[in-house]
Amino acid sequence: MILELKNIVKGYHSDGRYLPVLKGLSMSFPKGKSVGILGRNGAGKSTLLRLIAGTDQPDSGQVIRHGRMSWPIGFRGGFNGSLSGEENCRFVARVYGQDVDYITAFALDFSELGDYFTRPVRTYSSGMRARLAFGLSMAMEFEVYLVDEIIAVGDAPFRRKCRRAFQERRERASLIMVSHNIKTLVSNCDLCAVLSEGQLILYDTVKEAEAAATELNEA
Amino acid sequence: MLAEVRTGLAVQVRVVQALILRETRTRFGKQQLGYLWAFLEPGLFIATFYLAFLVAGRKLPMGMDIVTFITTGLVPFQMFRSIINRSMTAVKANSSLLTYPAVRHLDLHIARFVLETVTFSVIIGVILGTHGILFPELFAVPDPLRVLAGLLGCALLGFGAGLLLASAAVLFPSVERVQSAILRPLFWISGVFFTANGLPPAARELLMWNPVLHAVEIIRDGFFSTYRSEHSDPTYLALWIVAMIAMGLVAETIARDRLNE
Repeated sequence: MILELKNIVKGYHSDGRYLPVLKGLSMSFPKGKSVGILGRNGAGKSTLLRLIAGTDQPDSGQVIRHGRMSWPIGFRGGFNGSLSGEENCRFVARVYGQDVDYITAFALDFSELGDYFTRPVRTYSSGMRARLAFGLSMAMEFEVYLVDEIIAVGDAPFRRKCRRAFQERRERASLIMVSHNIKTLVSNCDLCAVLSEGQLILYDTVKEAEAAATELNEA
Repeated sequence: MLAEVRTGLAVQVRVVQALILRETRTRFGKQQLGYLWAFLEPGLFIATFYLAFLVAGRKLPMGMDIVTFITTGLVPFQMFRSIINRSMTAVKANSSLLTYPAVRHLDLHIARFVLETVTFSVIIGVILGTHGILFPELFAVPDPLRVLAGLLGCALLGFGAGLLLASAAVLFPSVERVQSAILRPLFWISGVFFTANGLPPAARELLMWNPVLHAVEIIRDGFFSTYRSEHSDPTYLALWIVAMIAMGLVAETIARDRLNE
């Protein structure tokens, strides 16, 4: 087991009312398997990923981690727009107590940003941001990578590169990925779960999850 | 358990260090001249007040000249105010960095507090040092530790107030207006233009409620061999600091939950 969720409840306050998003969901994530989580917009996918990463706390329930989790790697990314890609990488390396030079060199090489690496992140296209986010996270040697849609952003060669990088470290690292797009999950994950109505249901194959999701969509 | 606390603390120290380095870049810009700007702003401010004091022909207590009087009153107050202002925008300016689980809201406030305190301490040190070289006869400083204690008091008071106001502003947006409504009058009653000893007793009794005035008085008591602050009380200042920081921390916890939503 690499990760266990026990009775996670998380909700938000809106106009003085409490709106639960995750309603006591429990699930165990097997080690070495990449898990895709399918859900519609607003189902609470990003919220769930933040709870797993530890950037947010559940209202009740427990998140038990047995490995080094990444931060949620997503579109918006943890980048400060006025700083360069390099400076952002240095910051993250320092926060995680890693070798700053190694991390920046790795991120530069993986992201293929070239000269843009030393320019402010706000000048990047969304694809370049995604490459930087991904390159940086691959430099950090996490055991579980938490990915919020982002793989779909890069172009085809970059997507292949990401997949290759993952396959190389399959023994050590796995992926938890949320998406509203079944195709993204099919090409990246071994197992698939569906997040709906505040509950998470794990299916053995992506096919079964797809069938269940289609049923939900039509219902 | 102890080991856990220790690694937790080590992580927090690392995060705050990384944030300070990051803040330094955006605070002072990328040019080498960036740090000079940090001096220029209070420098211009001091120059303006220097002229105003000269023109007004303001009589200063014995042993004080305009530059030292300003640097021991106006500049510490500026530090106090600047820490509050920087704290107010700390979270908004760095929200993207909250992506990383190790980075907490409180760290953003601490990093800005440390950077402002260090910057203003350097500014004060450079001004007083230069002044001391030019006019060695005015430079006795009987109790430098007391000066540092007063400065730290100013800074910590600013930290507590900044944390409290910034967190309150998350819950009640109108607090941003309250902030300037507090700081503006505070500027006139914190010893920037007077010493407590020189006040009429009735006014003094009222103004000595203000903790910033205590901090300024403590600085001047330590800096001038000719000035002995008769009415400042370090314990009173310390109580304010503890209360402000405690309230700030509680408010921050509440605000953090709200910000995560």
